[in-house]
Amino acid sequence: MLARTKSVAHVGLITQAVEVEVDVAEAGFPGFNIVGLAGKTVEEARERVKTAINNSGLEFPNKKITVNLAPADLPKEGGAYDLPIAVGILAASNQLSIVGDQLFYGELSLDGGLRATKGVLLVALFAKESSIFVPILSANEAAVVQDVKVFPVRNLKELVDHLNAGKQIVQLTNVPIDQLIEDAPVDFDLSEVAGQEQAKRAMLIAAAGGHNLIMTGPPGSGKTMLARAMPGIMPPLLPSEALEVTRIYSISGLLDAGESLVRRRPFRSPHHGVSPAGIIGGGSNPLPGEVSLAHLGVLFLDEMAEFPRGVLESLRQPMEDGIVNIVRAAAHVEYPASFTLLAAVNPCPCGYLGHPKKECKCTDKMIMKYENRISGPILDRIDLHVRVSSVEVEKLSDSNSKSQIPSSKELRSLVISARKTQAERFKNDAIHTNSQMKNKHVKKYCQLDGETQRILSLAVDRHNLSARSYFRLIKVARTIADLDNSDKILLNHMAEALQYRQQI
Amino acid sequence: MTDYGRRVVEKIVPKLVQDGWTIVSGFMYGVDQYAHKICMDCGGRTIAVLGWGISYQMSNDECLISNKIIENGGLVVSQWEDQIPTLWTFPARDRVMAALGHELIVVEAAEKSGSLITAEMALKLGRKVWAVPGPITSSVSTGTNKLIAEGKAKIYLSSNPSPRLNRPLDVGEGNSRGEVMDLIHDQGLDPSEIARRLNRPVSEIGAELTMLILKGEIEERGGKYFQC
Repeated sequence: MLARTKSVAHVGLITQAVEVEVDVAEAGFPGFNIVGLAGKTVEEARERVKTAINNSGLEFPNKKITVNLAPADLPKEGGAYDLPIAVGILAASNQLSIVGDQLFYGELSLDGGLRATKGVLLVALFAKESSIFVPILSANEAAVVQDVKVFPVRNLKELVDHLNAGKQIVQLTNVPIDQLIEDAPVDFDLSEVAGQEQAKRAMLIAAAGGHNLIMTGPPGSGKTMLARAMPGIMPPLLPSEALEVTRIYSISGLLDAGESLVRRRPFRSPHHGVSPAGIIGGGSNPLPGEVSLAHLGVLFLDEMAEFPRGVLESLRQPMEDGIVNIVRAAAHVEYPASFTLLAAVNPCPCGYLGHPKKECKCTDKMIMKYENRISGPILDRIDLHVRVSSVEVEKLSDSNSKSQIPSSKELRSLVISARKTQAERFKNDAIHTNSQMKNKHVKKYCQLDGETQRILSLAVDRHNLSARSYFRLIKVARTIADLDNSDKILLNHMAEALQYRQQI
Repeated sequence: MTDYGRRVVEKIVPKLVQDGWTIVSGFMYGVDQYAHKICMDCGGRTIAVLGWGISYQMSNDECLISNKIIENGGLVVSQWEDQIPTLWTFPARDRVMAALGHELIVVEAAEKSGSLITAEMALKLGRKVWAVPGPITSSVSTGTNKLIAEGKAKIYLSSNPSPRLNRPLDVGEGNSRGEVMDLIHDQGLDPSEIARRLNRPVSEIGAELTMLILKGEIEERGGKYFQC
């Protein structure tokens, strides 16, 4: 007898329907075959399904079983087909009955229980209006999606009882997203970092306008510490943003079991040994890389000059477009990758160039070679460049009392209000922050008065700035004006923006 | 070349050019090439003495500089035709440099530096030798300080401020520029430090520093601000 169950396949973030056809034939030798471009993990479902059915006190039919995953030309990967195959076999051998709009998704354990399975959120978003049966450990992901009936399945036995109108599985109640969003826990509060007022100011501007920021300074000057404090001043995720980020984490399998949502803005800090595939995403069925995992959050590259050149160059497309296209023989996928780049570099190989006490031992050639490791096009896409000089501790302790240093919380409230201003400004445009403005937006929203325009032209002339940096300066000035609650970009806003221009 | 060496060249060379001197230097990367560059930037003429043959293939950067020297009415000279640079060619070059110059100023020299050979040659030829004193903690000032200590060279002290390389721009009047200028007139400070000392927000200081730079009153190097 033939049974059909529904499941899904993911290609990147796009979910497609997969029909699982199971035929339990009366004639022929007993056997169990899966066809339909099934990957190794799907092939192995045979052993898991057979054992799980037997261990659940159900009967595995000793007949010729053929499973077809349609459409036949779509590659299928992962353990999520265990459940639809098992249900199909049980239905085909008359041990349970299924109706049309039920979707099954989940990996089986040998004892008949269900394991946490990645991609459940995408299943729920795909399966609007129908019922989905997913592992109980991952079911919370689906709870944030409205209109879908989510049935968390603990094990195969419970599911069979439910489908045979025995003991019913309790449907999961919908959870509003904004209740789940929370503030990021911070490693450091910015008030704990002594001195570095200018770097902190630059971080505030970066967080408020979504600008990329590079910090140059000797070892021990606090670059990494400052960067680690960045999540503490980033604004909370909006519900729509949270869903967008969670989709990426769901498909990567990076959500903890039982967790329903990415609650905080991502902060990713890959080590400089990362491969190009690791940073932009890859694999034969490409998974998201660090740029996508940092979507709507911060990508922190510590010791940026140590990253392989190929890795840094691969950041160009995502930095420009906010998306990344990964092309492989088997698939062509697109992941969102709109992140704020936060980078820290040493000024020279030894790190002590310009240090007040330690002598730099590098030759001019070494320094030039080191500076050239980060290519011009990448630096040209970074809005804020700031020097972090080494701080002499004794100078700090007496010159400033702790109470005057603004805490992360105070800075964050400034960021949130500046973001509100931007949300209001861009409500009819498809962008969220000042850094995302295209030239047409700059012309529309960033009118400069005569004097400000003149100073900008003088500076462009004097420092030989490119056309791209011209627009970038205006965007940064716009954010500084927003932080100042000013409608217009004033002279002092532009003058401050010029402080953060590219220096190398 | 250290930051200090760079600043010394910027201070000394424009003054010398203004007084009508031609700068002779050895065309090596570091102080040598920087001196050639600054001299040309100030509209001066410069002579580069090569430590290798005149037709020896140089790197791209060096070709650019040597072409520029000639375009600016200077000279690129060598005593060989196709000699490759090697250990003994540089002392030979130093001898030519010492002979060409009227006076010698040693900007930076480590304990075993070619510049010290030039100084010895210049002394033998009866030229006046100056050395720029440096911090005793810096390895590249050991040689210059030693020249002074041993009485071989006179201390080069330039009390006159160098002429501004760029014409000051009219950018209107700031309100409290005096405060910042007073603070940095004898030392380089970064914006955070200035803000801390004046007890003013760093955003305000940043804006003011930009305006002072555009006016040509201060300059920025490695994140620190100096008076011109």
